[in-house]
Amino acid sequence: MRTIADHLFDILENSVNAHANKIMVTFSFCKNLFLCRVIDNGIATSLENITDPFVTSRKTRKVGLGLPLLKATTEGTGGYLKMSKLGKRAGTSLEFVVNMTHIDARPFGDISVVFTDVLRSWPGIDFEIIVLKSKEEKKILDTIELKELLDVNILQDIEILNFVKEQLRKELLKIGINQQFGVS
Amino acid sequence: MKNLEELKQIRERVRRNLDMRSGDFGVKIIVCLGTCGIAAGARQTMNKLADLSAQSGRSDIVISTTGCAGFCEQEPMIKVQEKDKEPVTYGHVDVAAAEEIFNQHVLKGNIVEKYLFSKGE
Repeated sequence: MRTIADHLFDILENSVNAHANKIMVTFSFCKNLFLCRVIDNGIATSLENITDPFVTSRKTRKVGLGLPLLKATTEGTGGYLKMSKLGKRAGTSLEFVVNMTHIDARPFGDISVVFTDVLRSWPGIDFEIIVLKSKEEKKILDTIELKELLDVNILQDIEILNFVKEQLRKELLKIGINQQFGVS
Repeated sequence: MKNLEELKQIRERVRRNLDMRSGDFGVKIIVCLGTCGIAAGARQTMNKLADLSAQSGRSDIVISTTGCAGFCEQEPMIKVQEKDKEPVTYGHVDVAAAEEIFNQHVLKGNIVEKYLFSKGE
C-alpha cells in the first residue's frame, strides 16, 4: 500500500464484502495524529486473530492481507488499529490512528477519491462522512441526503462524483488533510 | 453543500444522461481491486479508465470492479468484455497501459498483445 487512502479503500471493501449498505466514516487530524473510524452495518465476522495474515473469513484462499498491512502501517508509526463487533446484527467498528510526522508514515494520498471510487464500484452503498475538529462534529457528506436532493437512486454519474470529490477535498483540507502531506 | 441552484443544474444534466443510457452496455471494463490490486496501484488505473471513458463521450462503456482474481503477481489486472465477445484479461496494467488498452481495445476493438494475460473466462 502506498498511501493511507489505499488502506482506507481496502477496509471499506471489507465492509462491502460484509454486506454493509451504510458506512459511517469519521476523520480527525489533530497534532499530527490522524484518526479514522469506520462503522458499518454489515455482518460482523469473528475478530479473533483478525490481523493474522493467515486468518480470513473468505473461503477461496487462506490468506487475507488487508488488515495485517494496515496494522503494520499504523503500529509502525506508534499508532494503533482497534476493531470491535457492535453486536450480531449491528456491524463492525474499526478505528486506526497514524502519527503522520513519523518517518515511516505513509502519505495521505487522495482520500476524497477513495469515496468516489467506492461509489463508482458499489453504487448501492450509502456514506455518512464526519470530520471532528476541536470536539465539534461536522457532517461533510451524506449520500442519502444527496440522493434525495438530486432525485436519483444511485450516485454513479461522473458529474455527481466530481461534485462529491471536490466537496470532500475542500472540507478535508480545512482540517489539514492534504494529499501531499507526508510526501518527502 | 454547494448552493441549491448548482445542485439543480446537475440534476437536470444527470436526468438527460440517464435518458440517453438504455441500460445496455457495449464494453464492460472490470478492474480487480482486491488488497493486492490496490497495493499495485489499481485505483489509479481505474480512475484513468473512468476519466478516459468520460472524455470519449461514450455512454455505453461501463466500469466496474471485482476482488482478487488469484493472480496477485499480475496486478493491476483488468478484464475487457465487449458485448457478445469473449472477455479478455490484461495484466500489469499501469496508467500508461490503461490508456493504450482503452484507445486500442475499448474504442477500436483491437486486442493489445503486449499486456495480454488470457482470453476467455
